[in-house]
Amino acid sequence: MTGKLSLVVNGAKGRSISVPDDERLLDTLRWRLGLKGTKEGCRTGDCGACTVLVDGETTLSCLTLSHEVDGAKVTTIEGIAEDPEGRRVQAAFEAEEALQCGYCTPGFIVALTGVRRELGSEATSAALVDGLQGNLCRCTGYLAILRAVDRVRDGPP
Amino acid sequence: MTRSDAALKSRGGAVYGLDLETDGMLFGALVPAPVASGVLRSVDLTAARRAPGVVVAVGPDELAALLPNGGNAERPVFPKSRILYRHQPVAAVAATSLAEARAAARLVRVDVTNEPAFIDIEDRYPEWPSKLASNDPHVVAHVVARHGDLAAAFRTADLVHSETYRTSGIAHVALEPHACLAVVADGTWKVTTSTQTPFGVREDAAEILGIPQESLVVEGTWVGGGFGSKGAAFLEPYALLLAAASGRPVRLAFGYREEFLTGRSTLPSVIRLDTSVKNGTITGRRVRLLLDSGASLPGRDFATGYSIGFLLGPYKIPAFEMEGYAIRTNKPPFGPHRAPFAPQCVFAIDSHMDGLSRRLGVDPVEFRLRHVWREGDRTALYQPVGPFGAAAGLERAHAKVAEWRRNLPAGTGIGVGIGFWSTSTGAGGEVRLHLTANELVIEQAEHEIGSGSVVRGLVAVAERYFGLPTDRIRVVSTSTATAPFDSGVFGSRTVAALGRAVEAAGAKLLETLGARASMVGTPRLDVDGRRLVLVSGRTKTPVAELLKPKEREGGLVTEGRHYGRSGAIDATRAVEGTFYPYTDFTASVHVAAVSVDRETGSVKVLRYAAFQDIGTVLDAGMFRGQVEGGVAMGLGTALTEETLWGPDGRLGNPGLLDYRIPTIAEMPPVEVVAIEGFLGAGPFGAKGLGEPPIIPVPAAVANAVADATGARVVELPLTPERVARALKLL
Repeated sequence: MTGKLSLVVNGAKGRSISVPDDERLLDTLRWRLGLKGTKEGCRTGDCGACTVLVDGETTLSCLTLSHEVDGAKVTTIEGIAEDPEGRRVQAAFEAEEALQCGYCTPGFIVALTGVRRELGSEATSAALVDGLQGNLCRCTGYLAILRAVDRVRDGPP
Repeated sequence: MTRSDAALKSRGGAVYGLDLETDGMLFGALVPAPVASGVLRSVDLTAARRAPGVVVAVGPDELAALLPNGGNAERPVFPKSRILYRHQPVAAVAATSLAEARAAARLVRVDVTNEPAFIDIEDRYPEWPSKLASNDPHVVAHVVARHGDLAAAFRTADLVHSETYRTSGIAHVALEPHACLAVVADGTWKVTTSTQTPFGVREDAAEILGIPQESLVVEGTWVGGGFGSKGAAFLEPYALLLAAASGRPVRLAFGYREEFLTGRSTLPSVIRLDTSVKNGTITGRRVRLLLDSGASLPGRDFATGYSIGFLLGPYKIPAFEMEGYAIRTNKPPFGPHRAPFAPQCVFAIDSHMDGLSRRLGVDPVEFRLRHVWREGDRTALYQPVGPFGAAAGLERAHAKVAEWRRNLPAGTGIGVGIGFWSTSTGAGGEVRLHLTANELVIEQAEHEIGSGSVVRGLVAVAERYFGLPTDRIRVVSTSTATAPFDSGVFGSRTVAALGRAVEAAGAKLLETLGARASMVGTPRLDVDGRRLVLVSGRTKTPVAELLKPKEREGGLVTEGRHYGRSGAIDATRAVEGTFYPYTDFTASVHVAAVSVDRETGSVKVLRYAAFQDIGTVLDAGMFRGQVEGGVAMGLGTALTEETLWGPDGRLGNPGLLDYRIPTIAEMPPVEVVAIEGFLGAGPFGAKGLGEPPIIPVPAAVANAVADATGARVVELPLTPERVARALKLL
């Protein structure tokens, strides 16, 4: 079955699109809306590469049916910089070279932005890292990502 | 300096293989063999062809009509009769959607006999040391090396230390699965793919399809992690075949489950070591190796190629005998995985050295210092050891162990491991430089896989060579149709080999410009405002004035190449089989501090230090990133990562919940220290770095566990269960 739904993606005006009932938000974003910055990884919720914000909350788009989020505001890596917090996180990843192949990077940046929004700017690095445990990276050994987390926390607002 | 791809990647703008899309494209799906061993009777495509959305379905019987000469008879795209491993592709379909393609693939009827699978090498060869018949059909390679009088060494020894080590299969887990997009039109075959080796894929895919290399174009994309998994043709031949059959572009991509089920990585091994000691010095060593080579064909087994020689170092041993067998089993073929098989070799060798020194009552680091290679020594196969930072690294490690003994709580285990590696040159590499009035462009074939070797490493070489700032140097990656040849991003070779090619092309560039400007001696480049200028002494000439009219657009072009020399090995020592001549040795000396839970056997890594012999650090960020990343991956190999194969050839853990890689919460602090000055063959004395930092991690962790508990775990990975068994808790 296919039904209409409306998504507000990256602040754009709500778009009504026809989407099969069983389509995942990941596939709607990547293949219908052309937002390929959201990365497809395991499709089983284990790697975090597909993380997006749904009404500000970190969400695995591979485990979310598009119809579940009808009417919601969705933020992907392409729109994260419109949020000042998202821009700060992005800048910290660039400054610390907290990326290598870059495949996990959009998921990490979106997740850290969401966790900061959720826990507030006073949240400790340990609490922030707790919120990143669902994001896997195979290249960096995470240590540069941890330096980026510290930079986001301790850097100028 | 920040790497040039940081902004693109952090904004989601990098296009990877899995992101490829084009008008009118079809989606491909592969049909897996339902058994691990058997004979294929028939592949019936009738039902699949009638399924909704299906455009083509191809199996073994279609190859003759689709490929010139029917493809390669010895390496057919699909097996003609014998199934070598479960999930080996036996047919493929292309449909207008991925869901339709997958549904149709399930409708293909594969009629195959089901024979007992050969999975565990110790099932067939349980006795050790076992004498295998050289005509044993499961032996795909047999290697023998020896030197000196080992019998005498053992007869006169104060003691002989003997132990058997076992290692497990592992998986790459590159975050981006394999993916490619193929188009066949007007006699030209083209595939765009996420690969470490565009020219390697061209050669390999052309061979499998039976087409001339010149008629195939391979174009790379950003690579979402390789680690060896994207080093040869994998999905490309199937995608090209489907594109040829359908006349439409075909996208073929794997999911993680398929990656695990058919990935070509390191497979299990059994390593037996016997070492004789006289007056505190090693006099002889016997090395025995049984290595699972998976479904490798004789002469094509990768396993015994590069890395087995790592069982023969990095210590001076007067007499030795080494015998290794690569055994064919019903698993996917053994394939390269970051420093292929070296972490496993070093786990055995350095666990053994550690255990032996403790038995002798000698400090483990001291004991290694007595025996480790230094410049001027010869390897077991009588290759000269060049500048090599192992002893310098051991001295630093010694100090680190002492510091941690003082500062860390009682009960903490501290262990040391020495990895060594040889920077590969591969077949060779070439680059093309384009100098315009304002910038220098480095054109070459490789695409960035993550390490930074392409986007940052080659730029760093050019910066130093020309004295130009980073923002005036750009690297472009072009397809095999236009790029100069390079053998690939593997073997830690990219900066070492292509960097030397940049220097060679640079020398020609400066020579040409100098002649045009009538300068004496070698000029250099510099920046003057927006312009580039050629400088010699006090004379400055704008590059723009030195370019010929036809060079105004594309710039002055020069090409440079670097084909490394391979070393020689002593054939009287390397008696049988293939041993690779190593050239440029790199040492990685690591120290791990761990705590061990005495009730559960669980190991926690508290602190970690890595002393890395690198020759010259060309970029501090890249250096640190490679070492930290290698340590993390090595901790996975050491503690959790293991492919679990059932007796019927099924993989029991084809997903990230059951195959555990390190997470962000599990990383210890890692001190990264460069040991410079032991210069390698790369530009400015740099040595390769992609692989070395993973090598000693399992050994360092195992030795730390032995230090903490007095019990030695002789099997990788060190899961709580194995540690608990060693502690006699189970």
